[in-house]
This record gives sequence, C-alpha cells and structure tokens, in this order.
Amino acid sequence: MVYKLKESLVLRVLSGLGDFKWFAHFIISVVVVSLSPAVLTAGDNGPCIECHTKPDKLKTAEKAKIDPVTGEIRVVSMLIDEGTFKASAHGGEDFFCTDCHQDLEGADLSEGHKPNLKPVDCITFCHDDPAEDYLQSSHVKLMKENNRDVPTCKDCHAGLTYHYTPMGEKSPRDVPRGTDPVHRRLTIESCGTCHQEYLSSYRNNAHGQVASLGYTTIDIPVCFDCHGKHKILNSEDPESKVGKERILETCGNCHANANASFVKHIEHPQIKNIKYYKKLLTALKNARSNPEDLKNLIKSPQTILCLVFVAYMGILAFTFSSFGVHSLLCWFATVRDEYKRKGHADEDQH
Amino acid sequence: MQMKISTNYLRFSLLHRFCHFLIIISFFGLVLTGMPLAFRNYDWARWLYELFGGYPTAGFIHRICALITFFAAFIHFIFLFYNVSVQKKKGFFWGPNSLLIQPRDVFDIIGDLKWFLGIGKRPDFDRWIYWEKFEYLSLMWGTLVMALTGLILWFPVQFTKIIPVSVAGIIDLPSIALIIHRYEAILAAGFIFTIHFFHTHLLPEKMPVDEAIFTGKITEEEFKHERLGQFKRLENQRLLENYKVAPPSLFVSFITRLFAVPILITGLIMVGFMFSALIVWAI
Repeated sequence: MVYKLKESLVLRVLSGLGDFKWFAHFIISVVVVSLSPAVLTAGDNGPCIECHTKPDKLKTAEKAKIDPVTGEIRVVSMLIDEGTFKASAHGGEDFFCTDCHQDLEGADLSEGHKPNLKPVDCITFCHDDPAEDYLQSSHVKLMKENNRDVPTCKDCHAGLTYHYTPMGEKSPRDVPRGTDPVHRRLTIESCGTCHQEYLSSYRNNAHGQVASLGYTTIDIPVCFDCHGKHKILNSEDPESKVGKERILETCGNCHANANASFVKHIEHPQIKNIKYYKKLLTALKNARSNPEDLKNLIKSPQTILCLVFVAYMGILAFTFSSFGVHSLLCWFATVRDEYKRKGHADEDQH
Repeated sequence: MQMKISTNYLRFSLLHRFCHFLIIISFFGLVLTGMPLAFRNYDWARWLYELFGGYPTAGFIHRICALITFFAAFIHFIFLFYNVSVQKKKGFFWGPNSLLIQPRDVFDIIGDLKWFLGIGKRPDFDRWIYWEKFEYLSLMWGTLVMALTGLILWFPVQFTKIIPVSVAGIIDLPSIALIIHRYEAILAAGFIFTIHFFHTHLLPEKMPVDEAIFTGKITEEEFKHERLGQFKRLENQRLLENYKVAPPSLFVSFITRLFAVPILITGLIMVGFMFSALIVWAI
C-alpha cells in the first residue's frame, strides 16, 4: 500500500531525530487512519465530509434530478455545508450519513461510490408516526374527497431550509428544527401560499403582527403552534388542536391558566377582508326574506370587530380632516396678521 | 439702541411642566415602540422595532412607558383632588380657569372662524383657548381608553375571566382591545404630531417651540397677543402682579430648545412615515 510505504519513509526520517519514536508512531497512525479511504463503515461521517465539502474532490458537484411525482427537473448540489448539517434536526451526535443513505454502507470508496443512490425513505424506519398522522389529517381527507392533489411531504418540507446550493436552489437535505426562528418564519409563508386569507388575517392579530416584524421565536405562535404539524384537523373536529376539547390545552401552552372565555379569542379577524363586509351587506339586503343569515352574522364576534374598525376609520377621517383644516386656517390667519402688522410698521417708518 | 427687557408672567406651574415632561417621555417611548406593530409591513417599522431591541425588549420599554403615563395621570388626579376636596379651591369645573367646555367657548369658536375668514379680529381668549381644552379632554379620554385596552392586552387571561363564556362568544375582549388600542394610538400620535404641534409649537410666531410649557414663563407681548381676555381680567382684578416672574435665563432657554427641538423633529418624522404609509396603501 502506498500509505505503508510513506509511513516507513517518514518514520525513518523521524526516528533519526532521537527518542521521539513512540510519539512519531502515534501521530502517523492517527494521520493514516483519518486519511485512509478504504471502506465506508457505519458510524463515521468523516470520509463523507472529506469529499462532500470540497467541489474539486467530487466527480460531479451538481446533478440534475427528475422528481418522480411531478416530473420537475431540479439541479441539486452534492456539496454539504457541515455547519448547517450539524445545526439541523439530523445533525446530532448519533446521526450518520449511512443511516439515511443505507445503500452506501460498506461501499468501497477507493474508486468513489456508485453515482446514483436510492431515494431516501424517511417513513419506513423513522418517521412512520407523522406520516400516519398526516394521512388522517384534513389536508389528505378533504382533498381526496374533492379530487384534488394532496400535498406530499416534500410540498412542505422541501425548500423550507436556509442552506443554498451553488445554483441558488434550496436543498431539502438540511432539516431545520421546529424551534429555529428562521424556519418558523418560513413555515408561515409556506402555509400562506395556499391559505392566503388566513395569513392576512393572522397578520392583523396580536400574534401575527409581531411575526410580521420578523420575530418568530417560540414565544410568538406561528401557524403550526396552534393548528398542529401533521395532524391538522378542521376546527369543528373535536380532536383538532383548536377544537372544543383541546383548545384550552393549546392556548394554555403559552397562556397559563387559560380559561373558557379566553379561548373564544378570534385569531383571524376579518376587519380588513372586503368579502366579509360584502357578506354583511347582502345579509342586510335580504334581511326580510332570510333573517337567519343576519342573526347569525350579528351574533358573530367578527361583526363587532368590523364595526369597531369602521367606527375608528370614521373617527380618524373626521378628526384629521376637521382639525387639519382648522390648523391650516389658524396658520394662515396668523401669517396674514403678521404681514399686516409689518405693513403698518413700514408705513409708520415712512 | 436699547433692548427692551419685557416683563414675564408665570403661565405653567412646576407641577404642570413636570407632568408635560413625563407625558413627552412616555408618549414618545410608547409611540416609537408601538407604532412599528401598527405599520408592520413597512421596512421603517422593522428598523424602528429593532432599534428598540425588537421582541421582547421593545414590549418591555412599551410597558415601562405605560407605567410612566399612569404615574403622570396619578399625579394629575392627586393634584385635582387636593385642590378641589382638601383646599376647597373653586373654578376647576366652571369659569375662566376651568378646562371644561363652557358656553363661552362656542362664542370663541365663532369669533375664531370669523378671524380665519378675515371678517373679524382675533377673539380675546382667556386662560384656556377652546382647542387647548379639546386637546386636554382628548388626552384624558385617550389615556383612559389606551390604559384600559392596553391592560386588557397586557393581562388577557385575567380580564377574560370576568366575562361569562356565553358573552365571550360574541364579545371577544382582547381582539376588540387590540383594534381600539391600535387605531386610538394612530389617532393620538397623528393628532399630537400634527394638530398639537402646529397649534402650539410650530405657529409662525412660536417656531420652533413654545417655550412656555418648559420654562413656565411667557412675555407680556405674547400674553397680550395670545390671551388678551385673561390679561385684562387679571389686570382688572389686580392679580397681574402675583404672576410676574423674572425672565428665563439664556441657559434654560437653550436647554429647552436642546431637548424640545429633536423631540419635535422625531415626531414630525414619525408622522411622515405614517402618512407615507397611508399614501402607499391608497395607491
């Protein structure tokens, strides 16, 4: 072996230096073990990181991949940012590359491993629970009923990362933690791409207004803190996190001693939703033919919020227009008097 | 040529000046840490919120300033209570020294409108001009509304406990409080930074600040020009002498401007931001 030869050569030079022979042996064996590219064993990320952090050590640094479901072609980087990986949910002490890329275990690395690996199976061995929860969620049930494409794991989890490949594409490889503020902020936008109205009403709320300023630590609830992650159910469903039976517990996670009145809170106020006002107006128009509609709307806490909002818009408009005119007139009259006074003073001088 | 040194009169007592100072400090603290939440979609709001420490620091500053406001209101009502109930002083609720609206103010408004249109002379106002009364009363009302809604938002769980569950399904106290708190704040900040500033500090004769609220003193010329009614009344009652004071020293005037002008500019910049948001929203 090449390394054996090198070892003996270096050893001979070093041993000439005197009594440091044992020390030299130790140093060299450490170096040799860490450099040896023989066979990939489980429980060691070193050999993977060795090449996958340096583009010149890889045969191909970027690959085109075809998504098996959507048929989309994406450019995926083969480079790993070690820091990002360590910070990710999969970056713990006892996680190894071969845990996910199982077909690489025992691979011979002297010529490099085989180019195309099997797609990683997240569900079978590790994430079977969330997958099962997800299949029971409203997302899957309702959408299947309505014959619509159900969002896959990747629709939410891919692209939620902040590690960019050299091509500027987001890599799904770095799985962020649920406590990470950046990740939490991005999840709001992900949910918001489909649930736009809920996103904009959330931004009008006490929680959402802080999140809108960019603060999404675990103190500020984002969508999944209240609605759940995988098993998101309709609020009418008693098992839902925001349903009758569990809402006290959900709100109580942050608000100690949350009571039954407190949990009636409107998290999605419709004060800026023009559709709600239109609904109110049509209910008013049809008050005679269909009084039930109007009754229900009046009993809704949303209507009171909307009325308070409209009243304040009126107060603002009235105050600023009337007092604005008053201020301007006062200003002009003062200037006019000053001008007149100066004029008289000039006449007096002449 | 000889510079004529004018006579000065005391317009605001030390207590009132101190209360105004407390209100300035707390009001600006509240606006600068609260307004970013109302204008959360704009970059300046993010920048301003971060400047004050972001979440949760800005929130703590907001609450501390709220406590300062409570303290100022507390001093004010202790003052009122002491004068009315203990010292049995009269004229707090009626008469020229009262800040409450009276028939006289209606005539003042009509006279002032005539002056605006150039039909009449500027009315002879007494101690409080009608818009000053309005500003005082709206400050009282606004502080009450902001304090109540602010406390509901500060302690939502405790406040909702008072409300029965059946009512809570129709009246959502924290949400109503948030909407009122947000738009009352825009009303208050907008009013102070435009109407109050232009009526008192930024008038052509006062530019840049009316120092009376800081030094407490007003010259005879200003007194006669602004409140001729009060001047004549005091002269007739032979009380004018009681109000005579030494003119403010140059140092005090300088300190006043050093403090007041940057604060005034900050307020104008804030209202500029808020107004620009309105334009962006309208477009």
